[in-house]
Amino acid sequence: MNPLELTLGIMTAVGGFVDISELVFAAKAGSTFGYALIWVFAFATIGIIVFSEMSGRVAAVAKQPVFNLMRHRLGLKLGLVTLIASVISSLITCAAEVGGVALILNYLTGAPYLILAVGLTVALIASIWVIPFEWIERSYGLLGLFMVVIAAALVAIHPPWHQIASGFVPQVPKGLTTKELLTFGYFAVAIVSAVMFPYEVYFYSSGGIEEGWSIKDLLTNRLTSIVGMGLGSLLAISILASSAQLFGPTNIDPEIPGTAALQAAIPFGKWGLILALLGMFFAVAGAAVETCLANAYSIAQFFGWKWGRHKKPWEAPRFTITWIALFIAALAIVLTGVDVMTLVEFAILFSILVLPLTYLPLLLLAGDRKFMGQYANGAIAKVLGWFYFAVVGCAAIAALPLYFLTSGGNG
Amino acid sequence: MKPDGRIKLVSELLDLPLIDSEGRYCGVVDDVELDGAAGKTLRPTALLVGPGAYSGRMPGWVMALVRLLAGSRITRVPFSKIRTIGSAVELEVPGEAVGLNKSEDRAERWIPHKGAL
Repeated sequence: MNPLELTLGIMTAVGGFVDISELVFAAKAGSTFGYALIWVFAFATIGIIVFSEMSGRVAAVAKQPVFNLMRHRLGLKLGLVTLIASVISSLITCAAEVGGVALILNYLTGAPYLILAVGLTVALIASIWVIPFEWIERSYGLLGLFMVVIAAALVAIHPPWHQIASGFVPQVPKGLTTKELLTFGYFAVAIVSAVMFPYEVYFYSSGGIEEGWSIKDLLTNRLTSIVGMGLGSLLAISILASSAQLFGPTNIDPEIPGTAALQAAIPFGKWGLILALLGMFFAVAGAAVETCLANAYSIAQFFGWKWGRHKKPWEAPRFTITWIALFIAALAIVLTGVDVMTLVEFAILFSILVLPLTYLPLLLLAGDRKFMGQYANGAIAKVLGWFYFAVVGCAAIAALPLYFLTSGGNG
Repeated sequence: MKPDGRIKLVSELLDLPLIDSEGRYCGVVDDVELDGAAGKTLRPTALLVGPGAYSGRMPGWVMALVRLLAGSRITRVPFSKIRTIGSAVELEVPGEAVGLNKSEDRAERWIPHKGAL
């Protein structure tokens, strides 16, 4: 295990953890319910760590990414349903990320939003075309670390640490009306969906194959999952806590993604704001790249095409055409003028519906001794895996009713 | 697993990815061709690869859609060309030798061969 590689991997995971949905829902959760939803972030983070570790282990041991084996496990019909659902979910998520980055660029430059969206998509396509895989992942992830300024801002405003600490204890605030209780439930489901997006697992396992992981990389996989995603989650929690401290008492509703950047502007002024916006730009642009590639990985792996960005684009031609087409489709959604927040809400809804279909075959594969031998799921991974599968199943059932009953969390 | 042993067709072969002797993905086992007759031993003779091989595994209206979008091509890969069966089916020949990779080759003509580091 190379310590430099491991550190870079962990830092990349930290910088790449936050995407547009986490940014929006962390800020809104903090301003609406104070610190009471911190535990949901922590709880969902353990879930994504469990499944990411599993998918990385399957990639390292069976040498196959999740979607290659998903079809074998689920069969052609159910596999195709899963593929279609995950492609729709990741496409909407990608459109939300592209729209989100264009909005952030709009804050930074003042240029028209839709023109920025077109320019940005061209730039993202060019970056995937030109840069080798490991540096695509690292450059966006590492530059996303500018967002640490938001965590530093939280420390600078001297928040009530005991209240933040008590937010890690599972709770439902007392004295809520039925409507508020439903809204709390909707936020909890949305946070679980945002943290456990299915594309993250597809991207992580395919990334493991791209980087040629083998059994000797199992420790790297475990540490990257646990430490990288754990620290990334703390970044998202700092957005929530800052929002609770700064926006909640003044009844500010952080309706647009850029509001979170103001958290750094309050203690650090103009440079705090610029650093936060830059961090958000690279983190969300990285998420756009990940969702698009994850989608192309899924399609190529399902049909047995050559895939991977460790190859030159012309060496995996159908994969290349697919990711370019998906970026263009995401841009087309943005160009319809649909609001970014609406896209974020749809992305959250579709994702939570897809989550059980994503995680069931992964659980079965990672526990299958025929494929995994001695590296099959142990007792802890089995218990945690099935527990979180039950949780995402319940969340998937509750998501649509909660969305309609609360008008998408707006009460 | 060697291809001459006993094989559970559905759980150990169907829908597995195919990797050729150059280490390239070149399709998925969409169906299996069997030789034999009722009451006699059935032997798998070839893997069938391509959208045409979905027929019988999908409802009719889905197949009509598949034919419209992807055609009905089927490539037959003789069982004798299989090296091992595990988490993927590994072939002992390049994909081109058994008629695979044609769509990839056609798609490659559309991609500029420059600009990538």
